[in-house]
Amino acid sequence: MNLSKSLAATLIVGTSLFGSAAIGQEINVYSYRQPELLKPLTDAFEAETGIKTNVLFAKNGLVDRLSSEGQNSPADVLLTVDVGRLDAMKNANIWQAIPAELTSGIPAEFVDTDGAWVALSMRARVFYVSKERVEETAMSYADLADPKWQGRVCTRSGQHSYTIGLVASQIANNGVEATKAWLEGVRDNLARKPTGNDRAQVKAIYSGECDIAIGNTYYMGQMVTNEQEPEQKDWAASVRLIYPDADQSKTHVNISGVGLAKNAPNLENAKKFIAFLLSEEAQSIYAGTNFEFPVVPGVPASELVASWGELKADSLPLVDIAHKRDAASKLVDEVKFDEGPQN
Amino acid sequence: MIAGQSGKAHNFIAGAFSRLSFVELIVIFCMALPTLALGWLAFGAFGTEGGLFSRMLPVAIRETGLLLLLVGLFTGFIGLFCAWLVSSFEFPGRKLFEWALILPIAIPTYISAYAWVEVMDFTGPLQTAIRMMTGATSMRDYWFPDFRTIGGAAFVMSLVLYPYVYLSCRAFFLMQSGILVAASRTLGAGPWRTFRDVILPLARPALIVGVSLALMEVINDVGAVEFFGVNTLTAIVYATWLNQSNLPGAAQLAVTTVIIIAGLIWLEQHERRKLDYLTKRDSRVPPSRIKLPPLLSVGVVVFCTLIVGLGFLVPVSELMSTAMVRVMRGAVGLEIFEALWTTVWLALVGALICVAIGYFTARRMVNADGSRNLSYLATFGYAVPGTVLAIGVLVPLGFLDGIINDASRAWFNVTVGLILSGSPIAILYAYSVRFLTVSHNSLESAMKKRGVNLLEAAHVLGASRWRSLIEVDLPTLRPAIVAALTLVFVECIKELPATLLLRPLGLETLSTYVYAKASLENFESAAVPALLIIAIALVPAILGGKMQSGAR
Repeated sequence: MNLSKSLAATLIVGTSLFGSAAIGQEINVYSYRQPELLKPLTDAFEAETGIKTNVLFAKNGLVDRLSSEGQNSPADVLLTVDVGRLDAMKNANIWQAIPAELTSGIPAEFVDTDGAWVALSMRARVFYVSKERVEETAMSYADLADPKWQGRVCTRSGQHSYTIGLVASQIANNGVEATKAWLEGVRDNLARKPTGNDRAQVKAIYSGECDIAIGNTYYMGQMVTNEQEPEQKDWAASVRLIYPDADQSKTHVNISGVGLAKNAPNLENAKKFIAFLLSEEAQSIYAGTNFEFPVVPGVPASELVASWGELKADSLPLVDIAHKRDAASKLVDEVKFDEGPQN
Repeated sequence: MIAGQSGKAHNFIAGAFSRLSFVELIVIFCMALPTLALGWLAFGAFGTEGGLFSRMLPVAIRETGLLLLLVGLFTGFIGLFCAWLVSSFEFPGRKLFEWALILPIAIPTYISAYAWVEVMDFTGPLQTAIRMMTGATSMRDYWFPDFRTIGGAAFVMSLVLYPYVYLSCRAFFLMQSGILVAASRTLGAGPWRTFRDVILPLARPALIVGVSLALMEVINDVGAVEFFGVNTLTAIVYATWLNQSNLPGAAQLAVTTVIIIAGLIWLEQHERRKLDYLTKRDSRVPPSRIKLPPLLSVGVVVFCTLIVGLGFLVPVSELMSTAMVRVMRGAVGLEIFEALWTTVWLALVGALICVAIGYFTARRMVNADGSRNLSYLATFGYAVPGTVLAIGVLVPLGFLDGIINDASRAWFNVTVGLILSGSPIAILYAYSVRFLTVSHNSLESAMKKRGVNLLEAAHVLGASRWRSLIEVDLPTLRPAIVAALTLVFVECIKELPATLLLRPLGLETLSTYVYAKASLENFESAAVPALLIIAIALVPAILGGKMQSGAR
């Protein structure tokens, strides 16, 4: 008897403890983005509305967690990078439509046709090239497979979502066969087995290990302005940024975005949060502190970002990229990209 | 027993169930549930693309196999050799090395990997020194070994994992009788020959126990292999799950890994049984330590210093130098102390639960009846990669939460929320499933060594079950219980992937904190919390090591 009493007591206490997250002026955010990147945004949101933001960050598995939590999930919104994750959320049927009036000012390509998600910022996947050893000022993704660059290309793992996004866009543009030949060419040009993150590739140019690296645009901004690790400024100083396929307006971009959870317990607050993220103030934060491209027309990119040249983004619908991810991952697997050069 | 084959099988199963109480059955079921949930997911995916049909699978099997082989050899050699040195010889600083050799166990593999890659990298001290001496400016101007290879990964992982082998071998040397060594010496064999022909064969089971624990850590690792660009099975599990949105395919691969590890566990259990047999023979001849001649002493001291230096001092001083800069720039947040407290209490409760459950499963294992195999099933969790295990935990807990909420809404019109999957219970559950093997093994061998005489005496003298538990059973198992608590505590503190995915909103542990910092591609900011992880893991590691020597 005692046991069941204490069990009941534990349950009640536990409930009041863990249930408290859902009460009051709060919003619960499941995020694939690091809390540190979100902080300027959530601070501004709280200052403006008085609504407190609770963030749960993980790099993988949040969609699965939301699905298994089902209708009892405390999550209000899911913040992600990579359109594939947004699409996975849509496919898992854990979303509800974002009201159209919130997204009315956003270009159509940045909003899911059913309103399952809306983009918040954009980043381009570009080349970092050695200032000393590479003369080219304009290049295309196809050039990466040119034997001229044998032993000079560096990239992170082929199965990382950033690489998968790029390969998926190539499949969507050029078909599977052409992309396969291209990917094999890139693989055989690699200076080393894919390893490390985007910054590590730039460091490898600095150290002389390779001459061309693939990376996202905002890392340049983060390295140039890094007061915490000033040595990264030296890495950044050794490279030049090239927007691939800029002449054809085919530079690959991916997005960070947000979706509204199906059973959002703080629905009204969640809508306010999404509206805030699409406001000029929040978009300027994305541009200024994260060095990303805003999605709201009229909000300019930061001066630093603008100094790298003009982004001429591929107009390919983002959903097409999301739908080729599976094929891209299998292709990366098939050509054994992560094993490095095969000859 | 008189019945035929089918009767035997029937007896076996019936025997298993009848000997287990209802509570025990529930506990064992709970421990096996996440693994079973994964098996169920995997079963639904037969014949689909990806997963087991991945082109990279042969590569992954080759690279994983090579990594396991290298780490097995390195940890086996270092662990056994060091244990033999400190327990068989007398040399200056022996007492210091006896516990200093345990230190690297406190460093999670991913943290050591990061630190070592930094040290060996272009901007690290070694290459900077080379450039300063030769006047080179680029990596093209000089040759330096490529550290981001399987060899590099094996080197770094072995240096933090060998303590598992060291601890189990040292325990063996401390408990073994000195009579065989004495006989070997009397017959004229030198220390080397004694080592090769007497010690090595005798220590084999302890060696395998330690090596298999180390190898399970290798299979479970996600962070370190990423730094080194090794394509392990876990990498394919992730690609299948995340990029091909094929969770069942990923589960299939994970279950395959579980089967491989189950083989390792079986091997370990099998060898452990032999070990018990060997150590039980106590002929009351304490092993004596031979005083080493000065020249050899120097060699031994240098060797031990090298191991502790490479395994512990190098990564820790690398982190310290980064952390110092951080602290001086004032870039350390206060939230770190909240994370510290959360980490400690979660690990403490996790360790208590693991030891409590381990006590019951171990007690069953000691009885040589059918229930042994059911207990065995409960210890499989150690084999499942953390993130995949987390999914295995989420599925049943989410399901139960659904039922609880439906019921509470129907009866009381209240929504209680996710009291299981959205609370620390989920993390503690994952810890229990994952680390039960650790406490189970420690307690099982202690129970076997102690035997049942005292318990039977208590029973004959009319002591109740509770009284004999509290006054006889637990006190006689105390060293093993403390050892199990410390080991699980250290494991819980180091655990990352399951904690990351299962933690409730607003809860951070040191390891998730390190991860959030590190995944900003700014590992430097993670140095301070990384050092804190090592610091708290050190306390029980050293205490446990001391207790082991005391337990002689």
